[in-house]
Amino acid sequence: MWFYEKKLEYPVRIKKVDPRMAKYITSQYGGPDGELAASLRYLTQKFHMPTKELQAILNDIGTEELAHLEMVGTMVHQLTKGASVEQVERGSLGAHYTDHDLAVYPSNAAGVPFTAAYIQSKGDIVADLVEDMAAEQKARATYEYLINLADDPDVIDPLRWLREREVVHFQRFGEALRIAQELKDKKKFY
Amino acid sequence: MNEREKLLEQVMAYDFCMIDLGLFLNTHPADTNALKDYRTCYEQSEKVRKLYEEKYGPLSLRHMPNQHCWQWIDSPWPWVKEV
Repeated sequence: MWFYEKKLEYPVRIKKVDPRMAKYITSQYGGPDGELAASLRYLTQKFHMPTKELQAILNDIGTEELAHLEMVGTMVHQLTKGASVEQVERGSLGAHYTDHDLAVYPSNAAGVPFTAAYIQSKGDIVADLVEDMAAEQKARATYEYLINLADDPDVIDPLRWLREREVVHFQRFGEALRIAQELKDKKKFY
Repeated sequence: MNEREKLLEQVMAYDFCMIDLGLFLNTHPADTNALKDYRTCYEQSEKVRKLYEEKYGPLSLRHMPNQHCWQWIDSPWPWVKEV
């Protein structure tokens, strides 16, 4: 189970309204390589992991992704809070405003709603851990594109930090894959 | 950044170190250097957490409430934008 801690994992303190950036960053909330997909993927795959190390890695990285989901939601919220309808329209957020006002909603940058089809839970530990490693690289690349699109240091700082976490998680999943492969090598099939 | 936020950032920093070291220890459970760092972070985190909670109220529900009011809702939620 989980206990809520009344703090973010890393500070988000955005003062400037920027609906354009909010639209792009939303993809890391509910897009194909976003934090919701990441946490759901790992917290779902953990059930069929065969060893205590692999169970721990999936459980704990999945948990950290929920903290990242909260950080990304906070960024989107703070980027739109207090925006005028004119600012919303200029930032190409008029379509979102029509359906959601300025509410945070899990979709990709183009407004396509989140779907569980973004994730796989194959039941084969090598297939799943390789997917997890790819997921971390795709998320890292997305954060790099977002950093390229951003100009406000208050936005770039948490994006850079989140990018770093993808690199660390990729490393841990690489170690998990090695553990999984050693386990498979030990098993005898006749 | 006000005094409350400064103290909160200290808790956040030590807790983050524990998250990161914890992930590392999942795949390196016998690494005594990492264990030593984790123990240091835990001690420091407990220290600043206690200071914070005495001054500004609970950081989690695992906290003994006072007899008169439910302080959990008093301090600002972390996603709220400063105005």
